Amino acid sequence: MRKNPKPKKPDAGSSNTSAQTIFHRTMILLVLFGIAAFVPLAWKLYQLQIVQHDELQTKATRQQTSDVSVSASRGTIYDTNGKTLAVSATVYNVILSPKDINTVSDSDLKEVYGNDYEDTMTEAQIENAKEQIVQERVELIATTLASLLGVEQSDIEERCESTTSMYSVVKKKVEAEDAADVRTFIERYDLSDYIYLTNDSKRYYPYSTTAATVLGFVNSSNEGAYGLEAYYDSTLSGTEGRIVTAKTSLGTDLLYYFSEYYDAEDGNDIYLTIDTTIQYYCEQILAEGIEKYNVLNGGWVIAMDPDTGAILGMASSPSYDANNPSEITDESLLAQLEELAETLAEQVESGEITQEKSDTQYAEAESEALETQWTNRSVNTTYEPGSTFKSLVLAAALEEGVVDEDTYSFYCSGVQTVDTWDIHCSTTYGHGQESLADAVSKSCNLAFMDIGRKLGAQTFWDYMEAFGLMDKTGIEVAGESTSTWWSEEYFTSSAGYVSLATASFGQRFEVTPIQLITAVAASINGGYLYQPHLVQSIVDSEGNTVTSNDATVIRQVVSEETSSTVAELLEGVVDGGGGSNAYQAGYRIGGKTGTAQTSNDDELIVSFVGFAPANDPEIIVLVAFDKPELVEGSTTLGTSGYNVYGGTMAAPLAGELIAEICDYLGVAKQYTAEEEYLADSTMPSVIGMDEETAAETLSDANLTYRTVGSGTTVTAQVPASGVTLANSSEVVLYLGEDAPDETVEMPDLPGMSKSEARSTLEDLGLYYKASGASTSSGVTADGQSVSAGTSVKVGTVITVHFSDQTVSDSEGTIE
Amino acid sequence: MKPFERGEREIRAARTRQLARGPVDLPFLMLVMMLLAIGLVMLFSASYAYGASLSKYHNDPYYFIKSQAVFAVIGLVVMYVISRINYQFWRVLSIPVLLLALATLVLVLTPLGVTLGGATRWLKLFFIAGPTYQPSEIAKLGIILFFSASLSKRKTGLHTFRRTLPRPLEAIHHFLDKVGLWEMFPYLFLLLLISALMLMEPHMSGTILILVAGVSIMFAAGTKWYWYIIGLTAGGGMLAFIMTQTDYMTARIETWLDPWNSAASSDAAYQITQSLIAIGSGGLLGKGLGQSVQKYMYLPEPYNDFIFAIVAEELGYVGCLIILALFALLIIRGYWLSLHARDRFGSLLVVGITTLLATQVFLNIAVVTSLIPTTGISLPFFSYGGTALIIQLAEMGIVLSVSRQIPAPKQGS
Repeated sequence: MRKNPKPKKPDAGSSNTSAQTIFHRTMILLVLFGIAAFVPLAWKLYQLQIVQHDELQTKATRQQTSDVSVSASRGTIYDTNGKTLAVSATVYNVILSPKDINTVSDSDLKEVYGNDYEDTMTEAQIENAKEQIVQERVELIATTLASLLGVEQSDIEERCESTTSMYSVVKKKVEAEDAADVRTFIERYDLSDYIYLTNDSKRYYPYSTTAATVLGFVNSSNEGAYGLEAYYDSTLSGTEGRIVTAKTSLGTDLLYYFSEYYDAEDGNDIYLTIDTTIQYYCEQILAEGIEKYNVLNGGWVIAMDPDTGAILGMASSPSYDANNPSEITDESLLAQLEELAETLAEQVESGEITQEKSDTQYAEAESEALETQWTNRSVNTTYEPGSTFKSLVLAAALEEGVVDEDTYSFYCSGVQTVDTWDIHCSTTYGHGQESLADAVSKSCNLAFMDIGRKLGAQTFWDYMEAFGLMDKTGIEVAGESTSTWWSEEYFTSSAGYVSLATASFGQRFEVTPIQLITAVAASINGGYLYQPHLVQSIVDSEGNTVTSNDATVIRQVVSEETSSTVAELLEGVVDGGGGSNAYQAGYRIGGKTGTAQTSNDDELIVSFVGFAPANDPEIIVLVAFDKPELVEGSTTLGTSGYNVYGGTMAAPLAGELIAEICDYLGVAKQYTAEEEYLADSTMPSVIGMDEETAAETLSDANLTYRTVGSGTTVTAQVPASGVTLANSSEVVLYLGEDAPDETVEMPDLPGMSKSEARSTLEDLGLYYKASGASTSSGVTADGQSVSAGTSVKVGTVITVHFSDQTVSDSEGTIE
Repeated sequence: MKPFERGEREIRAARTRQLARGPVDLPFLMLVMMLLAIGLVMLFSASYAYGASLSKYHNDPYYFIKSQAVFAVIGLVVMYVISRINYQFWRVLSIPVLLLALATLVLVLTPLGVTLGGATRWLKLFFIAGPTYQPSEIAKLGIILFFSASLSKRKTGLHTFRRTLPRPLEAIHHFLDKVGLWEMFPYLFLLLLISALMLMEPHMSGTILILVAGVSIMFAAGTKWYWYIIGLTAGGGMLAFIMTQTDYMTARIETWLDPWNSAASSDAAYQITQSLIAIGSGGLLGKGLGQSVQKYMYLPEPYNDFIFAIVAEELGYVGCLIILALFALLIIRGYWLSLHARDRFGSLLVVGITTLLATQVFLNIAVVTSLIPTTGISLPFFSYGGTALIIQLAEMGIVLSVSRQIPAPKQGS
């Protein structure tokens, strides 16, 4: 072609004009289709790929990635000795894919009807066959899962009906054992397309009710809902890991594309200061008191180490089973709900309210009851501390030097008018002339008003602030409450002197139990206010200690000297004073009783704050009962037969609790000479000895004896060896004779004084052993180890429990 | 060189043979080969996941590429053979091809037609390249050949009157001839006939392509320009009427204007949103060859009409521009060849083929990027489909055969 210089257009009608027209027209087309058309395309692509790139990439990522979370295992909660209080374990959710169950594939049909089913069967037959296969499949799955998981077969069948869903949870949180059965079932029948298991985790509380209100619980998503679980949720839960992978539209992972792994970080373990044993003691005492005194609204018990602020036990009632937090088990809560249900039913019957409204009301009451049982009352509620608070006023006054142990003297007339209010002491005619020790031990309101006045409102206020009563303690419990006081301006102004007067004996303001016990601990432990705490240490999953809580001193409130004086005076309260029922020989218990009104006048909270040993406190407890039932019309007598006072109800149980805890902690007993005398003796074995040797042995054991028979050696003894009985009891030695097999009828002892009880028993040939309050003069028997009317063998040791029903807290009245 | 003893007729034939023996246009050939190569690679990438995942393709990731590669080889052979044929030969064949096209377009509407997806576009008769084929592909070729052949003989100036007609008709005829409409009547009639047949299948996109190809030849041949203005205005008005006044189209328009909202309910909208996600997520440089995620069952049939979305996702804006540039260069080179063709027939033939290709590329990418509402137009050299590929390469062969007869520029001038 190159050598052809002049090509001629052969077309018939060719001319220059027509060739030019074609040329021009083609040029137009060239510009139009070769250039212009590409401009909008390039522009649109620019819009999509550059301008809208981020937006569209986000959409792409959203649909293209599967973001699977890898659960981190929740930390374990241990008690101070490493006993497991809360632990998580892997459980499984059993899930169905109804869509797949309802899909019959080609190969399914081939399996049943042979490879050539398409040729041998009509379309209708194939449809029938498909239905048949699905039906058999559903039946197999429904019956087997129902029996393995304990769910309704009809429920599973219903789930299988939704043909579009690929995710239907049959049962959540299936234990590993049951899950293994399900897995075997899936494998045996090759059902992996229809049933699958996903991992989940479940929280177990091995001690179920123990410390439930402290521990709290987790919700179904394993998030801490209450208590420590909530407070330390982020610490315990750790960080979830994630696997982000590309996936196809069908959900298959495209692993070779990109995948990013974020490791899961397991939660930290928490070691509490709580000792399960002490916690158990606290809960036992609380339950015992509620039962014994017909307490309507529960109560609380706190046991704390006064030298560190470590909480050893913290019980709250009503409580619940942490494994099943939404069930109401507390008797009084159940009774209240039942009562409400009856009332509502009546109202519905009479047409007063609709069924709907009744249901709503009941549901509200139920959720309120749940809320109540989940509350840790030691931290989440406030109350009027009453006389227990006087120990703090006493400490402040001694520290400031406005009163002196030796020189203070006050005359109590029984009533004093402050402003327009008449403030009465508990005894109508007053306590008369009293020393500081008397004022404390008798809990004299008027004397404490005097002491408060001497302190002055500002100083008083400053001390209460220093005792930490104005701020939250910072204990590791979610939703800590704090005290309610008058404003400082009002309290310290001249108009506020009535509030100073009532505050001096612990009324007309509220504190939380934890604030009170922390403050009282500071007044008797050498003066140091410690930060109360439940957590000893936090340990990560590899065993490294993350945080460790040792004793944290917030401040020294009073001097060691003042503190020991307060402890000594409070020991006097238990040793013959208003708290004598807390007395336990050998433990040197000190403490202060309290009886306080709640916002409802006829409801009382009786409490006792006690510690031991008084010379160097190792344990401090606060025991309180909310609303022991009163005999109708009476303001003091409870339906349980006990007077509704801290001294009569809380003190004896607190004493027992302190004794138990001291024994458990191995605190050495200290007996005074008098106690030594009153202490019990253990009967030695003297059988086979001659009378002289036996006499010596018994004398060593502080026992006297009389003989029966005329032999020379002891052939029998009453009581048997090993039993404990009161000092200087007279035992019987039989010389050459057998012990008689007589029985006597057990007398009724309650109401008797100690000496009456002892002589009654000894007259019958029974032995006497005392328990409970012992030293004060007013004690009377309130219990005996063998109930009246039963026949007992002569020589049996009868334990008689005494309490002082004459003691009272001088709450008096404010009229 | 010239043999004296031979007759005039033999001399002309010899010269024609000599002319037809010239080299093909290398730039055009190279552009075709490059686009075909890129197209095959991208088809492989786009179809890989589909083939691998679906049992109807025997879970064979090579299912599509194997078939397409075979057709590409056949197509290249066809292209080579056609490029060797003197294109004047098509002048002779233009009427038979057109008649064949009309016949098959009628046949496809009879029970011989094969219906797929609601449209009867395929024929299982006289199988040319495959068990089924679209008569519309033959129609495209028929129209281009016939229009080029016929219009290349177009006379400028007015027709001579035959005094046989009565005066009033004579006047009308004179008028129509004067305004340039008279000569267009046969072509318009043919286009209308073929359009009507194809719309009965229905085959909207094929109709558009045939109209554009036919009209472009008429336009290039030098018919009166104002009819195109009038035609475009009227066509635009009609389109606007159809778009706004009929239900069939309004649904499509809604999908087009706001695909994200209707994506949940309609397949078409789902496809377009997935396409936009693919293109947008490609960004400037793309995810890399073979790295598309959208082809994993997100974008339905990524190997078909929407293959460009996967191209955009993997190769990015830069890759798209390069491919657009290659297409643009191919089209410009096509028109350039038309401008330099030895005769008007060659010119018009190349104009028709090039415009057809250009329209196909434009409409396909415009649909994929949601610039215009969805119509089913495949992307030349990229989309899966054997018949279409062979016919495209055959058309390229025609262009190449025209290019062989282009006189070389003078040396040193």
